[in-house]
Amino acid sequence: MSLLAASSPVWMLAQAAPPAEMGSITLAHYLVVSAVMFCLGVVGFLTRRNLIVMFLCTEMMFQAAGIALVAFSRFHLHHTGQSFVIFVLTVAAAEAAMALALVVLLFRKRESLSAGEWRDLRG
Amino acid sequence: MGEVINPFILYAGVVLGGLGVLLALPRKRISPQVIGGLLGALGVGVLLIGLGLKASPEKQLPNVYFYVFAAVALGGCLRVITHPRPVYAALYFILTILASAGMYLILAAEFMAFALIIIYAGAILITYIFVIMLATQAPAEDEEEAAAPEYDQVSREPALAAVCGFVLLAALSTMVVRGVRGIEVNRGQAAFQSQEAMERVPRRLERALHRAKAISADEAVYLTPDGLPVIDMHTGTVVVARPDPTGVRGAFAEASRRSVAIPSSFDARNVESLAFDFLNRHPGAIELAGVILLMAMLGAVVLSRRQVELDEEAKANQSRRLSAEGEA
Amino acid sequence: MNSGSIIPVLNLLAAGAEEGHASAGPVAHGPWWVALIVVLPMLGAMLCGAAAALKVRSKLPAFLTVGLLGASCALAVSMYLELAGGRSITVSYRWIDFAWGTGEGQRLVANFGFYIDSLTCLWMLFVTGLATLIALYASEYMSHDQGVGYCRFFAAFNLFVFSMACLVMGDNLLLLYLGWEGVGLCSYLLIGYFYKRPAAVAAAKKAFIVNRIGDLALALGTMLAFVHFGSVEYAVIFAKAQPYIEAIKSGHLDQVPFVVQVIPLLFMVGAFGKSAQLPLYVWLPDAMEGPTPVSALIHAATMVTAGVYLIARTYPIFLCSEYALPVVAWVGALTALLAATIGMAQFDIKRIMAYSTVSQLGYMFAGLAFLSSAGAAYHVFTHAFFKATLFLCCGAVMHGFAGQLDLRKLSGVAFMKGWGIVGLAMLIGCLNLAGVPFTAGFFSKDMILAESFVTMGPGYQVLGWVLLLTAGLTAYYTFRVFFRVFVGPKTFEPGDELHAHDDHGHDAHGHDSRGDAHAEAEHGPAGHAAPGHGHDFHPHAPGWAINLVLLILAAASIAAALPYFMGEHGGWVPKLVHESSATTISDGHGSTAAFLASGLHEPGASAHGTLFGQDPHKIMYYVSGAIGAVGIAIAFVLHYAGRKTAGTSRADALVPALGPVAGWARRKWLVDELYDALVRTPLWVLSHVFHLIDKLLIDGLVNLFGWLPRAAAQRLRPTQGGDLHGYAAGMAVGLGAVLILVWMLIL
Repeated sequence: MSLLAASSPVWMLAQAAPPAEMGSITLAHYLVVSAVMFCLGVVGFLTRRNLIVMFLCTEMMFQAAGIALVAFSRFHLHHTGQSFVIFVLTVAAAEAAMALALVVLLFRKRESLSAGEWRDLRG
Repeated sequence: MGEVINPFILYAGVVLGGLGVLLALPRKRISPQVIGGLLGALGVGVLLIGLGLKASPEKQLPNVYFYVFAAVALGGCLRVITHPRPVYAALYFILTILASAGMYLILAAEFMAFALIIIYAGAILITYIFVIMLATQAPAEDEEEAAAPEYDQVSREPALAAVCGFVLLAALSTMVVRGVRGIEVNRGQAAFQSQEAMERVPRRLERALHRAKAISADEAVYLTPDGLPVIDMHTGTVVVARPDPTGVRGAFAEASRRSVAIPSSFDARNVESLAFDFLNRHPGAIELAGVILLMAMLGAVVLSRRQVELDEEAKANQSRRLSAEGEA
Repeated sequence: MNSGSIIPVLNLLAAGAEEGHASAGPVAHGPWWVALIVVLPMLGAMLCGAAAALKVRSKLPAFLTVGLLGASCALAVSMYLELAGGRSITVSYRWIDFAWGTGEGQRLVANFGFYIDSLTCLWMLFVTGLATLIALYASEYMSHDQGVGYCRFFAAFNLFVFSMACLVMGDNLLLLYLGWEGVGLCSYLLIGYFYKRPAAVAAAKKAFIVNRIGDLALALGTMLAFVHFGSVEYAVIFAKAQPYIEAIKSGHLDQVPFVVQVIPLLFMVGAFGKSAQLPLYVWLPDAMEGPTPVSALIHAATMVTAGVYLIARTYPIFLCSEYALPVVAWVGALTALLAATIGMAQFDIKRIMAYSTVSQLGYMFAGLAFLSSAGAAYHVFTHAFFKATLFLCCGAVMHGFAGQLDLRKLSGVAFMKGWGIVGLAMLIGCLNLAGVPFTAGFFSKDMILAESFVTMGPGYQVLGWVLLLTAGLTAYYTFRVFFRVFVGPKTFEPGDELHAHDDHGHDAHGHDSRGDAHAEAEHGPAGHAAPGHGHDFHPHAPGWAINLVLLILAAASIAAALPYFMGEHGGWVPKLVHESSATTISDGHGSTAAFLASGLHEPGASAHGTLFGQDPHKIMYYVSGAIGAVGIAIAFVLHYAGRKTAGTSRADALVPALGPVAGWARRKWLVDELYDALVRTPLWVLSHVFHLIDKLLIDGLVNLFGWLPRAAAQRLRPTQGGDLHGYAAGMAVGLGAVLILVWMLIL
């Protein structure tokens, strides 16, 4: 039972049944982990009032999506899932850059990171 | 075969997890964070064990590494959302990222695992930590350690948020456990993709064959006039041949053609497959991603630039100094 | 217009050639210029409209109209000569042609084409001829109103002739319907010509609305005809109806589908509306609010015969129905009697003429139903001339005596200076209407009366006696007018409108509620002479145009009897509708009964009815002549002999003896009041109920649906408080909702 036990050649997988190769871990396991992580991100985003932590929670949701994508990639024997994780990383990086720049700007204005400080931005 | 997981176990796990998170969230007075954490872990454990019980008809031991990484990742997540100090939250998130990378490895996505560590843990999270440092008030002189600000210590509407999030989780996991059975694996496409990748690395295949002593030293992987090897994915064989005795470059002695088995250790590597998929199938998306990154960079620069207010005199001084430097 | 693009269509000829009529010749291809008969009046309407736009204040529109309609009439005459007893179709313009499939009945073809046979020619001859003469009459009659109103009058007049020509000449039911609605519109426009007078506006609306009922039935009938026969073209419909007629002839009534039985019933209701028959006749007397030339042309001579034309044209379909023609017979005869009894009690001479028109139309319908389509057509023809003469005489009186139409206030008009021609024309018209022997009206009416005793049908013998009685009543009320107004002591009392001295003539033209108002004032010897009129008033005698037209029309009324003497045994008359769709049966006197005996009503019944044991056709001359003479004699005794003043006569002594009946007759047997109670009041109540429903239920619902989003927004607005978490929670809840929905719907 090695770390990479499940990573036998893809083309051989194509002839064998994937569940047997994957041991007892099914796609559902990964998706449940992904779902739990996503919902923890949602709960965090809803409860935390620090802008930076809220952004961390969005990153967590991205990460959940990434796990689901890679799991699908593996269980569908298709690499596009992994390619999409690259795009997710790209968007996460861009979002982090913009969001953190905004956070810095907002912190300079109010000396606070509370999201509630900016309630008056409503339409 | 019925449900992937018994629905009672599923919803019990969800409810337990929700209670745990609710208790673990930071509060003003006493927050039973330890109990909450334990409850949450119990909930997740119930979920995963429930999955494992149902999914191992042959009484195999479950893959320990998956459980370890999943537990570490979700524990990290829990701490991210419950820790009152943003710095620790960021550090716990790095832990989550590392555990996720481990799961990527189990899923045979080596490249993505290391890319995740480098980009996420190495770049993005470090940026977060920098910003946290920048955006924190300096502690007062008399305090030993600055108390976390009120907005970090007290979570907002924890009960409602927990209910909201875990109802969502219940819906999501119901979808997952009921929906995965409907998803079919397209083996033909997988074989095709793998063949596509292998056809592009004939030299590496040749080296692997040599190393496995499957072919003699003067034999080489046969290439069609298009420069492609002849690979049969169903039997797992490749056609090899001797070079043309007349010495024409790239030509083969047709009589010497034979099929040999591809060594079972050989495969197009994850990086290779991913690269072919990435560059062949999503060229437009790559360009778009580049533009997004560029725009984000410019935006970050514009947003965070500090407005330096100089009076007229200072401006004049500066321009004089610059011109003097220019003459020198 | 499309006179330039005359497209001959040969396939129609093929369709026509398949017709299986016993009397049907092949359908020839008609000459192109028949389209001009239709086009010229339209041109006239446009030119009159242009004249109105240019504010022409001369008599130009009138003479333009006379010229164009005269040309149209000349073309109609040449069409008659060209036709020579055959039938033809001219397609001028492909109007509607679309298909939604290739099967039977999946293609609607309605060309701007003209179906020319003897029926068409007969109608077009008197329509264009009378229109020309009456336009000439109107050029003088309407002269007080020169200007935009004058142009408007003649534009509508031309449009009427155009519509009537479409109605009569069209080769399909759709074109007929176009003309049908067109004449209805023109009728509305011309009745309401004096639009500042409430009574005229009310009468116009009444005419239009009552006609709606009939028009709806006609539209339904047309649609049903298309549904069943797969076409609206006469040629196709007649060809397809032929098997049914054959089936009836051989006694297989059950082979005729129900739909084919219904189509003629619907057409019949349409005809009753347009031709003012029993349930729907009420609009015609009120339509006399229009200018008299309009009454003469539209509401006496031409438009109201459209219903007769419709039945004559679609006669083959009517023959397919078991009930249609008997119903037509009963309705026609009862209308004739009812209208005659009302006419006896009226005092407004124009209204008497209107009721007489209703009554005579009843004769025509009865004639059609007695399978004497030739007799009906002949009566239409003669009636058109003598009734136009009568109306124009009334119009001349009205014009000369400032709108006075009450027969109690005029007397001895014929002996006044300059009124001789009017009196003579009136006498000729009255003789015709009364059916005095050797007048055209006498012969045409006799044909119908005799046929009623010949033809076997449910109660047709009774109807024959009803019609004979009506003939006597007709003679009485006709000569009542003549003896009261045109002869006797010379006295008069002018009407209350002096349009000769009034620039805005139509403002004061006529007065409201003529009949009833005078009925109340019957016993006052002076009536209600308005102060200022007195005897300073000098009636102005009609000018050359009116006199000329009256002379021509009187001559034509006499000449209308000629066809009966030309040739033997009825002369031309049976040939009037020879070789047309109306001739399927009635090509002679004997064949009708033979046809009936063979299956329509009573198989095996005697082949020929009798009257006093004689052949009705021979004896009817004497019977109806005697009855007419009796009617005239009674009128003479009651209204002429010994009469000293305009307002009183021996008839007044009879009124109390009759008790309330006389009052009821004067009030038109309370039919208008009955309709009010039966139709208007329930509708009024219903409309109020619906108004309440609309206000409370519909408006309430609409307002509720307006109020709900407002209230919801009122509640939801505070949630958009700028709180980032709130928005995020919304998104999360939304995602959860979508997931649950998907789960429920898909998994």
